[in-house]
Amino acid sequence: MTDYEALVSTITEKAPYAEGKVRRERRIEFRIPSDRIRDFLKLLKDNDFELLLQITAVDWPDRGEIELVYQVFSITHRTHTFVRTAIPRDSAVVPTVMDIYSAAETYERDAHEFFQVVFEGNPKLEMPWILEEEDKEAGLSYRKDFDMLGYVKRKYKILDRFDEDKDTYVI
Amino acid sequence: MVSQSELIREAKENGMDLLPIERDTYELFFGPQHMATENYSIILKMDGNRVAKAIANPGFLHRGFEKLAEYRPWHTNIALLLRVCVPEPDVPEVIYSMAVEEILGWEIPDRAQWIRTTVLEMARVSAYLFWTMGMAFKLGVYTAGQWAAAYRERFMALFEQLTGARVYHIYTIPGGVRRDIPNDAWLRKLQDTVEYIKSKLKDFDEILFENYIAHRRLEGVGVMDKKFALSEGVTGPNLRATGVPYDVRRVDPYLLYPELDFEVPVLRDGDALARVLVRRYELEQDLYILEQLLDMGPPSGPYKVDDPRMKNLPRFKVPEGDAFAHVESTKGDFGAYVVSDGKNKPYRLQLRGPSISHGIRVIEQLLVGARIADVPVILVSLDNCPPDIDR
Repeated sequence: MTDYEALVSTITEKAPYAEGKVRRERRIEFRIPSDRIRDFLKLLKDNDFELLLQITAVDWPDRGEIELVYQVFSITHRTHTFVRTAIPRDSAVVPTVMDIYSAAETYERDAHEFFQVVFEGNPKLEMPWILEEEDKEAGLSYRKDFDMLGYVKRKYKILDRFDEDKDTYVI
Repeated sequence: MVSQSELIREAKENGMDLLPIERDTYELFFGPQHMATENYSIILKMDGNRVAKAIANPGFLHRGFEKLAEYRPWHTNIALLLRVCVPEPDVPEVIYSMAVEEILGWEIPDRAQWIRTTVLEMARVSAYLFWTMGMAFKLGVYTAGQWAAAYRERFMALFEQLTGARVYHIYTIPGGVRRDIPNDAWLRKLQDTVEYIKSKLKDFDEILFENYIAHRRLEGVGVMDKKFALSEGVTGPNLRATGVPYDVRRVDPYLLYPELDFEVPVLRDGDALARVLVRRYELEQDLYILEQLLDMGPPSGPYKVDDPRMKNLPRFKVPEGDAFAHVESTKGDFGAYVVSDGKNKPYRLQLRGPSISHGIRVIEQLLVGARIADVPVILVSLDNCPPDIDR
């Protein structure tokens, strides 16, 4: 039986910039500044957190930031870890972690394509992936301020009530 | 038109040196229309019969489920998410419900837990039978493929009686399940089906899993090692075939799995044969789990939580918070991360499809050097589900 409190304090001792807590059995969480993300994930990997399961981006326009949640699983400790970091929305740039967990490349491409987060050092970001060029030009995005209705109308040429002077739709 | 032999003769007569012709690589578009790729595309750069480079080209099935889910009330998302992976549609339903229940702080009743575990195992067996069909067809053992399709049909009939739908069940909801088990006859029918398929496993062994030709086609093909698989985030039978005993039902148990007795089959070779055999042993274990569940019998009691919020589902609200839930699907670790801001719709939802790891980067590396005939075999041995990647 893993002692989750002890596990969190072992890691926060080595990384004093991280705020750690136990969420419940088999779930722990760390909040770290975005410039330490590489150091922290390296530390986790060295402490038997073997699998990077996902990188999730969550857009918070009110707070003016995008939150990145790195979900790492440890088979040895049987523990799921949330690593949270926040980056500003206007300049969403964060270093890549694909040399630490190579699986990160795909998740970073996903977050780049749908949230326009730039992962510095990931060579595949500029390659076409799920979206087509015309979608990218329209700014198709999972960000909260994206005008999905307007996009659908433009894409499928439902332009009857489009006011070109004001560049908006009259609904 | 002058023939090639005439040109060569002419060149020799004129005293010209003949240089060997340089072999050019050529591009081969494998999918999305190819039967083996299932709506998935790989661009292969071929050197003769060998793959020199492979570029995964997903995106043909992308429907933006994660964005759509932000516009729909909590319960209606079930009908959306189960379309992520067709052979095993119950898994996204269950993980989404589990994550929502964790934010709500709900404990679902024992009867609902039993039903969910049974449905998940039934889905696993039928997904493995579906996969057996695919694998048998790629290896040319068509008889085994047709058997597998026919046996899966028995599970489809059981699902139809239980949920009202053959493929897209829309059965698990946050708080329990949508309706109760129809009657005792359904349980007896499930028991008969499990026994029947168990008795047929030896036939599959004889013509497919112990087939000499199948072993020659699978052995040493598409090999990956433990360290590579872990770093790439490969999970499920593909990871267990490299020697890592990672099974979510054991390392992060949920529902009734802590009470059940089953083995986690692990092989070490990491090639296509190991992946196929791990799935063969898993199929047996899943049938064994179903037997145990039927022996236990469904506990009496309600099949969903008794909460006033369940009475008005369109206005159903979930308090602020986030949760991650994952289960073991036949493809690997299938997870859902749900964020709520206290409204009647999810604020953010992200699914972690197991195929995203082995469907993009891993396949690009495993295919290099493979013969063209081995490409479908490697693809199916990885059990790639394209909608998992595109979502």
